[in-house]
Amino acid sequence: MSLEVKGCRELQSEVIARDLCTLCGACVGMCPYLVAYRGRIVALDECNLAQGRCYAFCPRTSLDLDLLSQTVFGVPYAADELGTVQEIVIARARDEGIRSKAQFGGTVTALASFALDQGLIDSAVLTASDEDMLPSGTAAANAAQILGCAGSNFAAAPTLAAFNRHSAGDAQSIGVVAIPCQALALANMRASPLENRNNIDKLKLVIGLFCTWALRYEGLARFLAQKVPLNRIVRFDIPPPPANLFQVFTDSTRIDIPLDDVRPFIRPACDVCIDMTAEFADISVGAAEGVRGWNTLIIRSHAGRELVEAARAKGIIETAPLPEQNLAHLKEASLLKKKRGLRKVIETSGSEDDLLYLKLTSEAVKGLLS
Amino acid sequence: MTSITAYEPGASQLLMGNEAIARGALEAGVGFASAYPGTPSSEIIGSLAEVAGEMGIYVEWSVNEKVALEAAAAASFAGVRAIVAMKQNGLNVASDFLMTLNLTGTVAGLVLVLCDDPAALSSTNEQDSRPIAKWADLPLLEPATFQEAKDMTKWAFELSEEIKNVCLIRSVTRVSHARGDVRLGEPMPPGRQARFASTTVGQFTSMFVPVKHSLLHQKLNKTREIFESSPFNWYAGPEKPELLIVTCGSGWYYSLEAVKTLGLESSVGILKLGTTWPLPEKLVQQHLARTDKVLVVEEVDPFLEGNLKELVGDTFSALGPLTFYGKRSGHLPSFGELDPDRVMGAVSSVLGRERAAVDPEYAKKAQALTGGLVQARMIGFCAGCPHRATLWSVKNALKLDGRGGFVTGDIGCYTMGLGPTGFFQLKTTQAMGSGAGLACGFGKLGRLGFSQPVLAVCGDSTFFHAAIPALINGVYNQSNFTLIILDNSATAMTGFQPHPGTGASAVGEPAPKVDLEALCGSLGIRVEVADPFDLQDTTPKLLDLMQDDRGVRVLISRRKCALVRAREEKAAYKVRVDSEKCRGESCGCARLCTRVFQCPGLVWDSESQTAKIDEVICSGCGVCADICPASAIIREVA
Ligand SMILES: Cc1cc2nc3c(=O)[nH]c(=O)nc-3n(C[C@H](O)[C@H](O)[C@H](O)COP(=O)(O)OP(=O)(O)OC[C@H]3O[C@@H](n4cnc5c(N)ncnc54)[C@H](O)[C@@H]3O)c2cc1C
Ligand code: SF4
Ligand code: SF4
Ligand code: SF4
Repeated sequence: MSLEVKGCRELQSEVIARDLCTLCGACVGMCPYLVAYRGRIVALDECNLAQGRCYAFCPRTSLDLDLLSQTVFGVPYAADELGTVQEIVIARARDEGIRSKAQFGGTVTALASFALDQGLIDSAVLTASDEDMLPSGTAAANAAQILGCAGSNFAAAPTLAAFNRHSAGDAQSIGVVAIPCQALALANMRASPLENRNNIDKLKLVIGLFCTWALRYEGLARFLAQKVPLNRIVRFDIPPPPANLFQVFTDSTRIDIPLDDVRPFIRPACDVCIDMTAEFADISVGAAEGVRGWNTLIIRSHAGRELVEAARAKGIIETAPLPEQNLAHLKEASLLKKKRGLRKVIETSGSEDDLLYLKLTSEAVKGLLS
Repeated sequence: MTSITAYEPGASQLLMGNEAIARGALEAGVGFASAYPGTPSSEIIGSLAEVAGEMGIYVEWSVNEKVALEAAAAASFAGVRAIVAMKQNGLNVASDFLMTLNLTGTVAGLVLVLCDDPAALSSTNEQDSRPIAKWADLPLLEPATFQEAKDMTKWAFELSEEIKNVCLIRSVTRVSHARGDVRLGEPMPPGRQARFASTTVGQFTSMFVPVKHSLLHQKLNKTREIFESSPFNWYAGPEKPELLIVTCGSGWYYSLEAVKTLGLESSVGILKLGTTWPLPEKLVQQHLARTDKVLVVEEVDPFLEGNLKELVGDTFSALGPLTFYGKRSGHLPSFGELDPDRVMGAVSSVLGRERAAVDPEYAKKAQALTGGLVQARMIGFCAGCPHRATLWSVKNALKLDGRGGFVTGDIGCYTMGLGPTGFFQLKTTQAMGSGAGLACGFGKLGRLGFSQPVLAVCGDSTFFHAAIPALINGVYNQSNFTLIILDNSATAMTGFQPHPGTGASAVGEPAPKVDLEALCGSLGIRVEVADPFDLQDTTPKLLDLMQDDRGVRVLISRRKCALVRAREEKAAYKVRVDSEKCRGESCGCARLCTRVFQCPGLVWDSESQTAKIDEVICSGCGVCADICPASAIIREVA
């Protein structure tokens, strides 16, 4: 696929109609046409422009990974397991209040609050869930609001719609907590050749989350509603292998669902994704295998390093070296996702030369697939 | 508009065809008039309503055409002359009653005026009403001039009384809506005491149907005799014409013009018939015997043509060989309107002559003669129209819902919702109330795999007219749809006639107001009310109703028609576009307001590349301010 920038019609035909949409939300919130509604991107009317930011920013239209890497890190795309890495540690929030609400170690919540506190950012765009566990982007301007977003909702969220809306307002320096496709879209915004961009220069920090896949809200909600009223659900968890469970918590109970029962709701867009560790974020945070209550923390950029070091120094988070075998497992898992994603891309397009939305050298493709 | 009683008897006055019909009724001493409004018939009862008080007559806008005819028949039964008017589609509604009224017959004169709309200028079809005369065995008159429109109407009452049955008059848009000089007679007060009494056993019942049917045929034979000497039929032309044009109604004028323009007065004769059913057979035969070529000119269907051929078939030996030209031969179209030009084409072709070059001034002249009737066709909703706002929410709700839902519609201003200013939302438009009827059916297809949400729309007047039975059917049969009643408090399409929901009668007096919420609520279903101008409220309400997938739901979308508002109240807002904020064609808007929303109050200024408000057209509703993504449309309370 060429890298030319097209418009909303092509976004619909090339991405949405082909089920390649990740629901990142990058195309939403800038115009009256595209909106996100319960897990779908909906075009309310036909936009007739030949070129649009929706198409330019979408992480499923055309991704020149070298260009993005140069833009974000000043180096070419590594095309290895984990992307640009300065250091990997395990980490957790010091504050027990945060840890008790967070998905794992609360590193994300703690660092986002800290960045706000330090004035690195004046607001953060995160993902909150409504009473029926429908997730959507939201802008937070204080620690309480950030804490309100703690925990993972495994249904995909159009978080970047909130970034587009929020960045058009008074905020000057914004941090975003993003899953990998959202971090890619943000990098795409930075690299966009369009003159009329959104306010991407206000983006000062990207905290990435690891992600293997995200789910379609409507399917998941319908499925879960048969087991428990949606408004009683307070959080989800996917305990580490070999549990193979999707756990649903209410205030009083835990419902264990075989992971295979929710797999049908995985967004097809996730099958062609080659990024597990949010390679275009300043720092990336995931579970820490075998270390309960801790996170794996990848420091990628200079800004990311400074934030983590300051937070450690101020006692906001604590870190520890990543156990040796964790690194091997992490690389293995990440590479596995890349291989699977690439194979699916090639299977879909029918040719190794057509990577749908990816621009990668054939050496890089060979290297990853070998 | 001057009222139709304002003119002195004996004077010659410029009257609209429909006014001439109304005046004819007054001169006949009509006492009762009723109708459901429908273009091009509405001015008949409308102009009688204006003089009801002064003439001591009763005039009503009925809930539908069938009720209008029934009410008028009651007046006739009670000895009071009555007139009913309806458009061609309305006849279909009334025909159930008409097809037995013809058997029972009438007492005082009862005239039913049928106004057809060739080319469907304001209709969903261009049905030719005339076959009902043949079907129902009732006399049919077709005025060709404005004078005839008046005189025929007056005479129709006498004929009706003579044969004790309904007399039909058929007009078309160009007779009803054009204006011409009419010599007036004296209006007569009704002057009869209304009293009902049957003179024979079962007179007004369905007793002895075959007997009554045979009596009906006798009445028709009597009518035929009367028609033989009617002054509404005449011949002009040579003794033995090379071509005989037989024509009626609007076709007469077109034929006259064609023959004149072609300069064929000495070889082509015109038999103009005003009494087209039953045919005055002797008269017709006498004229057919003069020629061997006949061209039949009429709008729309070959009704007269067919009847003439039938007559010739019966009496073939007496007439000798005759060749018929017209619609069946392909010389004239059996769709759309005719005009002198088309008739000229037919005449030239039948006679094998060169087409005469048309005088360039001719088109102008023809236009002037037909009263400049070629109306600009309404193609979109007015500025500030509540239907645009409702359909905007409908469109968004359907898109968000995403299950392939759609809108079934019917007849009213909102029919234009099938086009761009209604965002192409209406997917069906047939008869009054049929959006709701179709929805009943769609909503029962669940067990056959159907899973699309169905929204039916109907206007407030249409709701009373024909949607109520469909709504009740939906409730009773547990169908699944949402009915949106577009309550703009007017029968806007036909000229703002009051209806049962408006609280006013036909003559402008206060009337009980039927409460839509209470009426629908009494069916035990969910009823919501929304202000279509409040998009933020209406869209989610619609979405919620649509997704409340059980049974029938009703949304009353209530806002007065923009034209009524313009007459009654001042604009709510002063609206302007902040050109600094307007994003115009750039990514982030792409001219949503002028390209998609398309309110005529908004115009695109290509010089500044921004939208602007056309202050003359803008009604100040302020809705566009809510759709602008840049908050560039500013509304200030006026
Ligand atoms: C869809 C999804 C899939 C994931 N898959 C994996 C995985 O396979 N392996 C792994 O190690 N980790 C995965 N994670 C990350 C993991 O669940 C934790 O979010 C991460 O380890 C950070 O933990 P924490 O305790 O610091 O988070 P917290 O301090 O609890 O913060 C969680 C943050 O996640 C954000 N968030 C919640 N839901 C979403 C969403 N739907 N989209 C975007 N952001 C959201 C919120 O804004 C919040 O700030 C996934 C997360 C998501 C949302
Ligand atoms: S992937 Fe993101 S930008 Fe692309 S269509 Fe989906 S939501 Fe829009
Ligand atoms: S919708 Fe608003 S921004 Fe767009 S063209 Fe109209 S006034 Fe300008
Ligand atoms: S306010 Fe806007 S929508 Fe209303 S009439 Fe004026 S231009 Fe049209």
